[in-house]
Amino acid sequence: MSETVIDVRDVHTTLGGNGIHGGLSLSVARGEVIALIGSSGTGKTVLLREIIGLLKPQAGQIELFGQAVWDSTPEQMNALRRRFGVLFQDGALFSSLSVEDNVATPLFEHTELPHPLCRQLARLKLSLAGLPADVATKRPSELSGGMRKRVALARALALDPELLFLDEPTSGLDPISARAFDKLIRLLADSLGLTVFLVTHDLDTLFSIIDRVIVLSDGRVLGSGTVAELKHIDDPWLNDYFAARAPKGETVDGN
Amino acid sequence: MTAAQAHFDATHGALIASGAWHADAASALPTLEGQTVRILDGTAITQLDTNGAWLLLNAARPQASDPMPELRGFQPRHLSLLNLVAQHSASTAAQIEPPRAGLRASIGRGTLAIWGHVTGLVNFVGQLTVELALLMGKPENWRWRELGAQVSAVFVGAIPIVIGMLFLLGVVFAYLLGDQAQQYGANIFVVDGMLLAILREISPVIVAVLVAGRTGAAITAQLGTMKVTEEIDAITTLGLSPLAVLVIPRMVALLIALPLLVFIGDIAGIVGGMLVAQQQLDISPHMFMDRLTDVLRLKTLLVGIYKAPVFAVFIALIACRMGLSVTRDARSVGANTTSTVVQSLVAIIILNAIFAVMFVRLHI
Repeated sequence: MSETVIDVRDVHTTLGGNGIHGGLSLSVARGEVIALIGSSGTGKTVLLREIIGLLKPQAGQIELFGQAVWDSTPEQMNALRRRFGVLFQDGALFSSLSVEDNVATPLFEHTELPHPLCRQLARLKLSLAGLPADVATKRPSELSGGMRKRVALARALALDPELLFLDEPTSGLDPISARAFDKLIRLLADSLGLTVFLVTHDLDTLFSIIDRVIVLSDGRVLGSGTVAELKHIDDPWLNDYFAARAPKGETVDGN
Repeated sequence: MTAAQAHFDATHGALIASGAWHADAASALPTLEGQTVRILDGTAITQLDTNGAWLLLNAARPQASDPMPELRGFQPRHLSLLNLVAQHSASTAAQIEPPRAGLRASIGRGTLAIWGHVTGLVNFVGQLTVELALLMGKPENWRWRELGAQVSAVFVGAIPIVIGMLFLLGVVFAYLLGDQAQQYGANIFVVDGMLLAILREISPVIVAVLVAGRTGAAITAQLGTMKVTEEIDAITTLGLSPLAVLVIPRMVALLIALPLLVFIGDIAGIVGGMLVAQQQLDISPHMFMDRLTDVLRLKTLLVGIYKAPVFAVFIALIACRMGLSVTRDARSVGANTTSTVVQSLVAIIILNAIFAVMFVRLHI
């Protein structure tokens, strides 16, 4: 049995008087590519922020690599932060730095390598993320949305994390770029042996690159499994969700 | 986890690495000094990530065009990672740092930047004049509500700080002046000196400086952030002119507020002086007011107040132009806000000098 990388047990969260999570538990094993889905307002992003240590839940235990996130000393937490990378929803690139320096920033801060070497490693990450060499010296504001996402992915990969968190990686991208981004995530996950935990609304992502889907509903995990397994769960929201995807070929035929 | 180690076997031309190879392992690499690495031996490598793989490959072949060394003893997983990194290493060639700009280049660039500010300001004045001319014919297009909000922010919000500042300056000025005047028994002339200094110079300049720092910076930061979040573009797309909606109300608000603030500052300064005169020079408030009505000429008051609208126009022009010329990143909001305050202060000092010479020549 492979090692558990993310372990969330019995988490309760209340934000502004609204109960978000009521006894939520889930776990992710090393090497899995996991998607978290759920209707808007079920606390997917909140859960992600709790796992990466940005928001403290009212009760419950969250462990990454067997270490409790909310009971660690700042030093332990910093060591833990080196082991995972995060891609925020809108990229969250530093607008005043060049693309190359954005990606090199984690290396500047967490390693003792000389800065020119950090920049060379940053260029490697940009190339891995599928970006041409000439973007390195541009500023984030000069890039398209899809390219910004790729730069953000390169930054998340800068320290070669074992675990990657992605918050809606394909939102705001056109279908072609979104599929290319999906393929890239899967390619990197396979070749670098990453564990990937992503929050998404994108059905095509679910059908193409995901090992296992976790469904959140009413502050709990409604179900988890492959897409085919989830279709057997009788839940109104889940039924509507899968019905939203038109069967293949239907839209291709003209009238 | 074993620490990364590497040594170079010169007889076989082999770089032999062992342990866990991460980004931090760079210091474990031996210096090769021109020797060619023909074999890369990774039998004893326990962990390898892309950073570690790149460090090893880069040590073995500093140029991406160099021949690939023979990879020996690597685990299959590490081998595929090395190959992946090798495919992407064309773009990671060492970059030559651009040479730092010399003194002459810096002076040249600075001069061009100043020239850019001057032409930009002239251009902005032109656009604004056209916009104002269009608005003159259509009073229904004036933004009265926005104007009211701006006047309240610029004027009402600044009253406490203006009173506090000018009161204290009045106190200090009267104290220093009184100290000198007392030695000649010329106590009462402190009133004359106070009035001239506070009304003509200190109040208009200090109030303008305060407003430039307070309101000018706020205008640039606000318009700049609106530019970054594309709100200005949204205004344009709605068929509205950003100049009419945002700039003109701010300029008119400053035009109204600054003379009023100068007048309030005059009073606060005189009250401060009056207080010191009573304590230090035995001039009662009654005597002070008596002397004030004797020597104060309307001209002295008006000279100060006439300067205020000119300062106001320049502060508004500079602040709005810098706000609208923000590019889409956080750094330029900060840089333009700083620039607004610096340009406004320089403009105020230069204008004040021009006024001083002009009034003397005109015998005012």
